[in-house]
Amino acid sequence: MSGIASYFWERRSEIAAHTGEHLVLVVLSTLAAVAIGIPLGVALTRRPRLARPVLGLAGIVQTIPSLALFGFLIPLPFLGGIGPRTAIVALILYALLPILRNTYSGIRSVDPAVVESAVGLGMTARQRLWWVEVPLSLPVVLGGVRIAIVVSIGIATIAAAVGAGGLGVLIYRGIATVDNRLILAGAVPAALLAVLCDGLLGWAERRWSGIAR
Amino acid sequence: MEFRDVRKRFGSGAPVLDGFTLSVKSGETMALIGPSGSGKTTALRLVNRLIAADAGEVRVEGRDVSSEEPVGLRRRIGYVIQEGGLLPHWDVERNVTIVPRLLGWPPERRRARAEELLAMVNLPFREFAPRRPRELSGGQRQRVGVARALAADPPLVLMDEPFGALDPIARRALQQEFLSWKRQLGKAVLFVTHDIPEAFRLADRVAVLRAGKVIQVGSPREIADSPADDFVRELARP
Repeated sequence: MSGIASYFWERRSEIAAHTGEHLVLVVLSTLAAVAIGIPLGVALTRRPRLARPVLGLAGIVQTIPSLALFGFLIPLPFLGGIGPRTAIVALILYALLPILRNTYSGIRSVDPAVVESAVGLGMTARQRLWWVEVPLSLPVVLGGVRIAIVVSIGIATIAAAVGAGGLGVLIYRGIATVDNRLILAGAVPAALLAVLCDGLLGWAERRWSGIAR
Repeated sequence: MEFRDVRKRFGSGAPVLDGFTLSVKSGETMALIGPSGSGKTTALRLVNRLIAADAGEVRVEGRDVSSEEPVGLRRRIGYVIQEGGLLPHWDVERNVTIVPRLLGWPPERRRARAEELLAMVNLPFREFAPRRPRELSGGQRQRVGVARALAADPPLVLMDEPFGALDPIARRALQQEFLSWKRQLGKAVLFVTHDIPEAFRLADRVAVLRAGKVIQVGSPREIADSPADDFVRELARP
């Protein structure tokens, strides 16, 4: 065990650099997925007829094995190619479903009596959204973002396969050289990141649901 | 306010309201009673344009509501629903002053109004203003709901089963208070209830609905003494 620790210590600058790359992939893709997924999820609540096909489509994307999705993207112009851009596009696609679905169901789960009285008292559509629906669905929406981030941290390790960097680089190199310590040097920080983000967002979620109830 | 020959149907079913005509004078409390599915709540929701009539006219203060901008119209009409429909993430003061806030009143004026309103519904301001709805009893929530509807002093108040979710004792107490608010404020009130004794106790006039039509309108005494038909007689039996 102390062997592993000193091995990690020797490679700390390399591990830190790949962790940084990893975080950039995850943060950029999550931000983009939030920017697309939340407004789209809200729009779906206004046109429930579209909800099923759109959520279905996002669900299908989710079922594509990640390695295959990275592969599909490589030949595409603008989106694909070798490097972080392809990885970010793939990660956005994966992160979209949980964010979209939780935004949609979060807003739909707001007590209809509360919405009705807000509208009946004379709130505009925008006030209804920002004063009532957004705050009351925030814990559920945050839950979607949390799932998206945790999933992205895992999938981003595969991004190394398309030359996007990240902690996957260490894992792939470890596999190629049959070096378990190198694999762990990529896997352990990725797992820690996932646990950390999960805990942080879970805390925010619980805090807000106390306020919103 | 008045309904003139209003018709409303949802989807392809039978119309919920058909040839519905009724008028409420200013300062008058009108109760809508009738079996479930007779169109009581639908009629109420037509007034503040939560839904739109298929035919006929709904007039408030002499103007056809379909020609009015819905948001502005709603801010001029009080609205109370069962359980109050309070915003759970806002405290009592903020809930009570929603409409003044929507109308852009300055904060000092809103605060003063909240103090008046909570005093009127017997909830001491210092104790209750900072509370969240979940920290109130059902009766207290309902009082806040009533106070909220009256906040911007609307000439007309709509109430949908306002005391429906309460236990009999709290209900009785709120009914008593309602009668005193009514005397003080002199507003037109249109309220829906499935509780016939409540309608008779609170309303100046009662409209009996069946299958989307008004069968009889009259004071509680008129309805009880000379029911229009067997249906009303059965309904109004003590």
